[in-house]
Amino acid sequence: MTSQDVNIGRNIRRMGAVEKVTGEALYPGDIDLKNQLWMKIRFSDRAHARITAIDTRQAEAHPGVVAVFTAADVPVNEYGLLIPDQPVLCGPGSSKPGADIVRCISDQVAVVVAETEQAAAAAVYLIDITYEDLPVVTDVFAAMADSAPQLHAEVENNIQTHYRIRHGDIEQGWAQADVIVEGEYITGHQEHAYLQPEAGLSYLDDEGRVTVVVAGQWVHEDQEQVAHALGLEHDQVRVIYPNIGGAFGGREDMSVQIVLGLAAKKLQRPVKIIWSREESIIGHHKRHPITIHARWGATRDGKLVAAEAEVFGDAGAYAYTTPKVMGNAHLMVCGPYEIPNAKVDTYGVYTNNVPSGAFRGFGGPQAAFAAECQMNKLAEALGMDPVELRLRNVLRDDSVMVVGTPLPPGVTLDRVLAEGAVESGFWQRSGDRWQRVPPNPAPDSTRRRGTGVAMGFKNIGFSFGYQENSWAEIELHGQAQIERVVVRQAGADVGQGAHTAFQQMAAEAVGVPVEKVEVVSHDTAFTGNSGSASASRMTFMAGNAIRGAAEAALEKWTQEDRPAIGTYTYLAPKTSPFDPETGQATPNFAYGYVAQFVEVEVDVETGQVEVLRVSSAHDVGKAINPRLIEGQVEGGVVQALGYAVMENLVTRDGMILNPYLSTYLIPTVWDIPHEVQSIILEYADPRGPWGARGMAEMPYIPLAPAIASALHDATGVWFDRVPLTPETIVMKLREHGIGVI
Amino acid sequence: MQLWNRYFLASSVDETLELLLQYDGQARIIAGGTDLLIEMREGHRPPQPVLVDITAIPALTTIEQDNDQIILGACVTHARITHSTALQKRATCLVESCGVVGGPQVRNVGTIGGNVAHALPAGDGTTSLVALDAEAEVVIDGERHWRPILELFQGPGVSLLDSTRDLLVRFRFQAHQPHEGSAFDRIMRPQGVALPILGCAVWVRLNADNSHYEAARICIAPVGPTPRRITAVENMLAGCPATEDTLEAAVALAQEVIKPRTSKYRATAPYRSEMVAVLLRRALPAAVERAKTTMPVTSQ
Repeated sequence: MTSQDVNIGRNIRRMGAVEKVTGEALYPGDIDLKNQLWMKIRFSDRAHARITAIDTRQAEAHPGVVAVFTAADVPVNEYGLLIPDQPVLCGPGSSKPGADIVRCISDQVAVVVAETEQAAAAAVYLIDITYEDLPVVTDVFAAMADSAPQLHAEVENNIQTHYRIRHGDIEQGWAQADVIVEGEYITGHQEHAYLQPEAGLSYLDDEGRVTVVVAGQWVHEDQEQVAHALGLEHDQVRVIYPNIGGAFGGREDMSVQIVLGLAAKKLQRPVKIIWSREESIIGHHKRHPITIHARWGATRDGKLVAAEAEVFGDAGAYAYTTPKVMGNAHLMVCGPYEIPNAKVDTYGVYTNNVPSGAFRGFGGPQAAFAAECQMNKLAEALGMDPVELRLRNVLRDDSVMVVGTPLPPGVTLDRVLAEGAVESGFWQRSGDRWQRVPPNPAPDSTRRRGTGVAMGFKNIGFSFGYQENSWAEIELHGQAQIERVVVRQAGADVGQGAHTAFQQMAAEAVGVPVEKVEVVSHDTAFTGNSGSASASRMTFMAGNAIRGAAEAALEKWTQEDRPAIGTYTYLAPKTSPFDPETGQATPNFAYGYVAQFVEVEVDVETGQVEVLRVSSAHDVGKAINPRLIEGQVEGGVVQALGYAVMENLVTRDGMILNPYLSTYLIPTVWDIPHEVQSIILEYADPRGPWGARGMAEMPYIPLAPAIASALHDATGVWFDRVPLTPETIVMKLREHGIGVI
Repeated sequence: MQLWNRYFLASSVDETLELLLQYDGQARIIAGGTDLLIEMREGHRPPQPVLVDITAIPALTTIEQDNDQIILGACVTHARITHSTALQKRATCLVESCGVVGGPQVRNVGTIGGNVAHALPAGDGTTSLVALDAEAEVVIDGERHWRPILELFQGPGVSLLDSTRDLLVRFRFQAHQPHEGSAFDRIMRPQGVALPILGCAVWVRLNADNSHYEAARICIAPVGPTPRRITAVENMLAGCPATEDTLEAAVALAQEVIKPRTSKYRATAPYRSEMVAVLLRRALPAAVERAKTTMPVTSQ
């Protein structure tokens, strides 16, 4: 059959949609087990201190309390996705030296387990902790100074990560430059604010495995982290995800997983925990605040000749995914442009702030903010249209990146930009000349409108030398004909609709209608390792794995196996890490490309910004399910809008002053753009399944600089800092004499 | 988390007062709960043994106009005020302020009495009631009194009323007459969630040919621990021509007498001071324009 039109490219309804709308779908917090206990966590009260004593007697004596666990109870008291630098519980008596120090308020000190949630909540504050305060450092530059307190014994000057790029001859580049623009770009923390705060249960299953039911992004990584800390073999730990209420990178690191497993194992009873919103905001990492100094040069005819950047990321107290996030920022801070001479130094620096880690875009948005603002400033300095300037410089199939290698084949940056610009209606072209279409006039004299542009690229998969892989299994049932297909793939459906895409791709690969395909996922007991639902990798990686498994299963089917079972692990093309001196690398095997065009209205008296329209153009390679892609585009745009103009995490001395959604403001329906146009382009990635590329992070990447560009169009003033709160806008406008009557 | 043990839905003022008496300080009034529940959830207020919900008491949920006086039940929601055509003409600033409180969900359940009893220095409804020179009928120690609204505010979040013993019943104020008008504007962020950075309610009365201010009442909040009138500016305006020059003089005086504070996650003092000027330049002329077209009450 020709199933192309039946399964791929079709807007089939997302699996579980009705259950989610009606409330039938179960999230970790909705599940209760017979005989279950409740857990409450005591977080650190200090940003940096040594715990000299913990007195748990009063808590243990509280009615209903079953147990209190501290650092001394954790078999291998450490965890970390890349570097095990964080104690599971901080305090004296630990198996790991140095674990008696709390380094941020996200650190967990003790857990109380009780018969009721109320008893646990009451008892957790009865734990008496004696702290010996240590000096607190929360500023990246202060943390790098020789006199700064050192957070981790082996890390000098708190520099967790340092990457370099030395490409071409930078001095020669400056000599060729007719125009040079320079800027300092500052971006803030961002909270993931997923709908479902952390929650979970743990129990021993029929086979005696420590089973953790939780919402995460990678069941096998959670399994690995729990097993490591509890000193167990992998197969003694099982991780199950029910429905996941959003993730965005915020569920990559551990939150409740290890302590739940610890308590269930020790007490041999089911244990449950639900975090409040405040606990969620304090207890998990944030987007890296990054400061970027950038200096770019171009010739008079608009050819980039030099770029220099220093990138400083606040890692917070622990590594989490900082080496990878800062690696992405390092790669992307020169933009998706061909620049023959470049010099970049990128640092990830420990401070006593809450840890920074994975968040949609993974360092890309911060880097794009600097790179795209630089491009827009260059366009102004050259008197050239910003779309035209980009088209003269974007990477193409034959160009070399600043890390000395080309992008993988199938580069479409030029087409994404040009087709997006035209389709958005914000730009018009005649031949090679491009021109902004002036926005509609604002309704009154205090408001001004402007349009802006920015673009971006983002890798698919982790890579940078890591061998990307993903496992899938396909089982074909029936006799003469295939009647039922079971696809096993552990990849997490965090709300993006990945399982629906799996179903569509499996149906396509086998050649049956989607209705015949059943997806089995989210359980380490039944699946191999499919990798993380991160880095826009799920469709690309799972799709290739499913394809391989289907091929193997069909082969068995023809050999009359019933059921016919095919298993396959897809290995992505090889990549390499940055060279420590020059940054030379083949960092990734696939990318997604995006360009955005926005119209904003700013009240120059009050500084309030309204984003009226956003057009987001994407090369997705092949849209497996166009409606799910639109959902990702709209969601990504709204999340990036919050980042750009609203979300302001206020910290002081490592404390979070607004750990509530009533004070940490995220967009509501009143704050989102009046219109988000998804422009979906399909230029096949030769390595992608059916040509598909990843796309989930791309709509986030260029929005903040596109808004800054539109604000400049409206007011003539550049804004180099996000969030662009009304206050920061007014103060900047007043410096330029705008908005004063 | 359990926030209360018993919840009563009272059907009359008398029943409410009896419950409060019976529980002797252990029962607390809830009139919408959009502030109370958040405070309890966030741990700023302990869980309450008993809550007495007064939003179903008929006498507390009416909007009445008695000739030139408006009487507003304490449990009228912000949404109902926003949609009241009578109030749109006769208490314009109140309608405008209630229309921007919180988000739609908050406006549907939050009440004007709850807003006042919570005694925050920047309640939007409160700011307008102050500019309207409203009075509040309260029951304190079992006695009913009418009190000027500003007397209810004793400090940030501290009300004259003890919500475990006393009751706020209703408000009254003069409906706009010919040559009178009002306006409210605020700086907020963002549009969908509460958190006023600064709000400004203005009421004016012009002379017979609408050329001069006869009287004005202005409330800008938050600029102190409790809402207050900007009397220096009010006094200055009385008798002055309703011109651009007068407006600028009022703005200059307001910026001189108002010293806003920096709040940790709302705004800095310099921004607020800048916004005092922006708000007054918007609200005062709007109130003046409306005053010119207000019809007599009898002609409705």
